[in-house]
Amino acid sequence: MKAKAVEKLVLGMISTITVLVVALLITILAVLFVKGYPALHSGFLFEESRDFGRAGGVLYQSAGTLILMITAVLLSLPVALGSVLYQTEYLSSGKLKTFLMQLTYILNATPTILFGLVGYLFFGVYLDAGVSWVTGSLILAVMILPTLQVSIREAVEGLPEKYREAGMVLGLTRSAQIYRIILPQCFYGIVTGIFLGLARVAGETAAIMFTATTFSGIQLPQSYSDPVPTLQTHILILAQEAVNPESLAQAWGAGLVLIGLVFMLTLVAWAFRTRMVMESEL
Amino acid sequence: MIQFENFGAAFGERKVVQGLTCHFPKNSITAIIGASGKGKTTLLRVLCRMNDCIENFRIEGNIFIDGEDIYQPDTDVYALRRKVGMIFQNPCVFPKSIFDNVIFGVKDIARISKKEYPDRAEKVLREVFLWDEVKDRLREKATTLSQGQQQRLALARTLAVEPEILLMDEPTSSLDPKSTSAIEELTQSLKSRHTILWITHQHEQAQSVADRVLEFTDEAVNPLRPVAPIMKTERPSPLKNVLRKVQTFSE
Repeated sequence: MKAKAVEKLVLGMISTITVLVVALLITILAVLFVKGYPALHSGFLFEESRDFGRAGGVLYQSAGTLILMITAVLLSLPVALGSVLYQTEYLSSGKLKTFLMQLTYILNATPTILFGLVGYLFFGVYLDAGVSWVTGSLILAVMILPTLQVSIREAVEGLPEKYREAGMVLGLTRSAQIYRIILPQCFYGIVTGIFLGLARVAGETAAIMFTATTFSGIQLPQSYSDPVPTLQTHILILAQEAVNPESLAQAWGAGLVLIGLVFMLTLVAWAFRTRMVMESEL
Repeated sequence: MIQFENFGAAFGERKVVQGLTCHFPKNSITAIIGASGKGKTTLLRVLCRMNDCIENFRIEGNIFIDGEDIYQPDTDVYALRRKVGMIFQNPCVFPKSIFDNVIFGVKDIARISKKEYPDRAEKVLREVFLWDEVKDRLREKATTLSQGQQQRLALARTLAVEPEILLMDEPTSSLDPKSTSAIEELTQSLKSRHTILWITHQHEQAQSVADRVLEFTDEAVNPLRPVAPIMKTERPSPLKNVLRKVQTFSE
């Protein structure tokens, strides 16, 4: 009887927590939608920002965010993929594998402001890239490395051993196994990782705030040493500095665009992940 | 052709095979029987060095194939695996078409032109008696085939890279009697060109399919003994097998 009461109590507690979490998410989305929707006019996505963010749209901010996102993933993907394939296909020491995996998790737990600080000192100052989209992309690439690694590793390690063995007994070399079996079979897992990485970059502000972005004075970067405007910086500056309601409405509108982007990327990642699970069950 | 000399294998401290010395002649079928966990599969896997990646796996003694020690540091493992094909207990086909599965190994290994792929595929599919069943659906997914057909497809894929030795690890354990019969007959037909090692738990199957039997017991590995001729010729049909099992059970 007592055990049943405890079970009921625990069930009640975790149900309440679940409802609270969902309610919190819905509240944030609802507030964002209610406050941001009035700013969304037909040209919001395709017009440049005017009058210090009071009017116009977020064209160049969106473009800047996409530039940072795509460059970061392009830089990070080969490193993450190579690292995972080395650990899963070539490295035989179990202890070393565990150690490298722990390093990945530590990197994942590092505060993003530290990535910004250390990244700026290394890429911006030491390598002389300054405050630029290149510095920002490099910092973000390092930052999403664990996200990509964990997703890709999950896909590669989840590949049934029978496929590897079937390739091995045919006399396929390790590299042939990688491009004939592992990469095609893990395709959906790798794509899932890419979209999760993109979503993480889209939501990042601290690491790029003072290393890669600017609020005004630039549209698209003309060289590698130019900074870019981003949605994240746009929202932060308007929310902190603006006092007039038009600018604040613009900040909410940009927030809605950003969360829409993150949601879209997460949904695509989820769709690919579902496909990956279906393929692995064949 | 295959020679084990004082061979032993262990996973860490756990020895699975000890002091095995025997030889398997060319173009023969040897059945390997014995209880689970006695090292039968390990014996096959070491022949194509499939356990190399297992961290605590080690071997003792020597294994020779065509007079060459396959565990020498300069052994080309990939060339060895092309020479020694292996079929597993559960058929493994790639989620690709039937045709792509058959030529999967050929693409990387056999030095033939792309134009010759269809001929090679037909040749090996005929060898495994699968051609008539799949000739009109070569572009369909291999996963749509039955278990028995998948096992023959896996065998065709292995034969396509022309191995000299075939290792078969309980290839019929997950199959129905009809498919089992098909694989057994097929193995007999392959004997003239391949040396075959076949693991089975069924003594009757060992007697009917193989020329010689190697038995793994609790105490040791019993030396190879030839199969009695009468047992080879009077092979019970699958139906008789089932009836015999039912009878034994009721007794």
